[in-house]
Amino acid sequence: MDSVAEQTSSFPWLEDADVLAGVTEVAQGPLAEAAYRIDQEHYYPTDIMASLGEAGAFGVHLDRYGGRYDLALKAMSEIARVCGSTGFLTWCHDACGLYMEQSGNPALLARLDDHARGRTMGGTGLSNPIKSLTGIEKMILTAKPVAGGYVVNGTLPWVSHIARGQYCGVLAGVDDGGDAPSREIMFLLDLDERVDLRRCPEFSGMEGTSTWAIPLVDYFVSEAQIIADPAVPFIKKVRSAFILLQIGWAQGVIQGSIDSIDEVEDVLGHVNQYLDARPDELRAELDDLTTRATSLCADPYCEDKDFFLQVLDARAQAAELALKASQSALLHQGARGYLMKAAPQRRIREAHFVAIVTPAIKHIRWEMAKLMREEMPA
Amino acid sequence: MTDPEGGQPWRLYICRACGFVYDESKGDPDSGLAPGTRYEDIPDDWECPLCGVTKTDFELFEKSAPTEAVAPVAPAQGTGIVVVGAGLAGWATVEAIRAQDAEVPLTLVTACDGDVYHKPELSIAISRGMCRDSLVRERGVDAAKRLGVRLLRQTFAVGLSPALHQLRTTRGTVTYTKLILAQGAKPALPPMLPPELCWRVNDLDAWCGLSKKLAAGSARVAIVGAGMVGCELAEDLTASGHRVCLIDCEALPLAGLLPDAAAVRLKASFTELGIDFRGGGQITGITADADGARHIKFADGATLVVDHVIAATGLVTDSRLARQAGLAFDRGIQVNPETLSTSDPDIYALGDCISLYGMPCRFIEPIPHQAKAIARAALSLPQEAYRHADPVIRLKTKSLPIVVHGMPKRGGDWRIVKQDFDRLEMEQRMGDMVTSTLKVGKAKAA
Repeated sequence: MDSVAEQTSSFPWLEDADVLAGVTEVAQGPLAEAAYRIDQEHYYPTDIMASLGEAGAFGVHLDRYGGRYDLALKAMSEIARVCGSTGFLTWCHDACGLYMEQSGNPALLARLDDHARGRTMGGTGLSNPIKSLTGIEKMILTAKPVAGGYVVNGTLPWVSHIARGQYCGVLAGVDDGGDAPSREIMFLLDLDERVDLRRCPEFSGMEGTSTWAIPLVDYFVSEAQIIADPAVPFIKKVRSAFILLQIGWAQGVIQGSIDSIDEVEDVLGHVNQYLDARPDELRAELDDLTTRATSLCADPYCEDKDFFLQVLDARAQAAELALKASQSALLHQGARGYLMKAAPQRRIREAHFVAIVTPAIKHIRWEMAKLMREEMPA
Repeated sequence: MTDPEGGQPWRLYICRACGFVYDESKGDPDSGLAPGTRYEDIPDDWECPLCGVTKTDFELFEKSAPTEAVAPVAPAQGTGIVVVGAGLAGWATVEAIRAQDAEVPLTLVTACDGDVYHKPELSIAISRGMCRDSLVRERGVDAAKRLGVRLLRQTFAVGLSPALHQLRTTRGTVTYTKLILAQGAKPALPPMLPPELCWRVNDLDAWCGLSKKLAAGSARVAIVGAGMVGCELAEDLTASGHRVCLIDCEALPLAGLLPDAAAVRLKASFTELGIDFRGGGQITGITADADGARHIKFADGATLVVDHVIAATGLVTDSRLARQAGLAFDRGIQVNPETLSTSDPDIYALGDCISLYGMPCRFIEPIPHQAKAIARAALSLPQEAYRHADPVIRLKTKSLPIVVHGMPKRGGDWRIVKQDFDRLEMEQRMGDMVTSTLKVGKAKAA
């Protein structure tokens, strides 16, 4: 880059404070307005996501925009504080951008700016592969090598933040004719006319996350779509960053819960003082989590086992605290928080999702136990 | 805030049904009430935006003084004592606490099953024909029942937040009033010894794995590291019919502890037993072949082929928890030598994981004394300070018993006090004071 003008045009989100202010404005405005419709009425907020993208919510973690993971977490938290579903969509979008950038594939890098700015959208279908690579379940998609790429078959059960014309990062086991897959490949699945997205059964909430089953029949993957081949070293490189980002989403659900408690403190404080998990306690726990998460943001691609353990530990803590805080918020608000349009009951369902989405609390603990065990000769 | 005409301050009205607060200054724009709409100007058919009752169910709301001060300011603390680690130090602490207090809630977090056994026995157990059942003195679950302890088995402590009094484990978060770290030390494995090819005998499970392999018949075994554990294991396995090669980068066994005059005797005793001691051996790497045999490569180009490799290359304290919690750490968790408290006043530590005066102390003898001191401190009972005394070091080598008193200075001058064919006695002095003594060989029958 030669000139300052060029630098500025490719570096649109210079000031952290501006990014945060822009994201917060969208979150507190149109997003707050739409939170109920997103949760209950299948409203997939691509318009709001586009505004958030313009404000920088989906770009700042990328190397090309400064690799500011701490800022990405803060932005995601401001979004999830208002609407957990959109916080989740933000994570999906961020993760997809992360794959595209780290792939180093020029064809994908060419698409990255539009993705980062929220002009195009895509998510991540890594739930099954991540569980498969750690030995929890089997890889669903299989890829057969053909001239110029692979042909992929199989059905992914639920993938969010996707729609016709969008895309998502997925993995497939390579079938070379042997008994077991010879390796895995990762690619950006373009959801074009070759793919008929299948509607999922109704969920308890978060209906606006545009979650679909993806049946693939002889889907051709070209080299332009390849994220990593083989995929395992790539996953090892990005797994900490992938999980770390989710913490921003959880932080938002926790902060939103504390907001709901504060909201009724004037009115109900005289009785709420008898409850467990009071706002002071929750704030202290959130501060503790935030301090640790922020320190992990300095080097999110670190591949050390110890770093991965710290990320998993913080992610588990985030899920546990989201459950505790959202539960407490409903108890603090009482019946008023139980109304279908009230945030506390919605947040309880959002927190449950934080706790069960991959990696779920149980998966994190399984993985941590595996990492902590000393390796011995067979 | 007052209204712009300088009249009455804006008032708040609360819905008696749902608690929604109507703020005159903000109005309810969604139902057409502009900001600044007085309560009396609200039409009778206006409904509470939250629950739908009408205006008559609202009453004047005056903010009460904040109740925050009544509530505890500090985060909630779980009541009870949590101990991490169910080795000798962990169980000794639990026993010591129960001896003082039958009621206090106790949780023991352990990565293994928590079975009670005497760890020093592991390095002499194979020649004695012992097995898991004979080594275990009490099953962990039984000890937990007897002592009224909540035992979290196969559970790893992964995170610690002292400000919150929270210990995070692979089975959930545990809160504590006092935390006692008895996490032990783990084998320090140099990079040229791959963990998947080298056994370490530092706990019962690992010993069981190794002993199962050795039960298949006489094997070629390389022991890397001729420290106390390496020397004891070498004799133990030789006595069990295995062909042992003991490798150390120093020229003589136990070189870190013994003066040459003593180490020479130990080496000679090993030779007599049939142990192949290879001093000055610099290992550069280990690989396994298709049959599972281990090929040990040395810097001088030599290769040694064996069936099993055991690494006895020393211990280190895992600093994960301490670092995460911001506890002072210097080769071990730093503790106050009199109170055994760490740099956090509600966290104590004992046993192999601590450092006293900047030195780790990985011996059995001090543990019960440390456990007793910690138990009294954790229960806030009056107590005398813990006094650390250098433990007696006994090498459990039957052919040539070795006993060290004091803490000999490495490289310090040793003086021979007595020596004959069977026995050697030496001492280290500082000025006129004898600081360490060393006895090698069996005392003669009187």
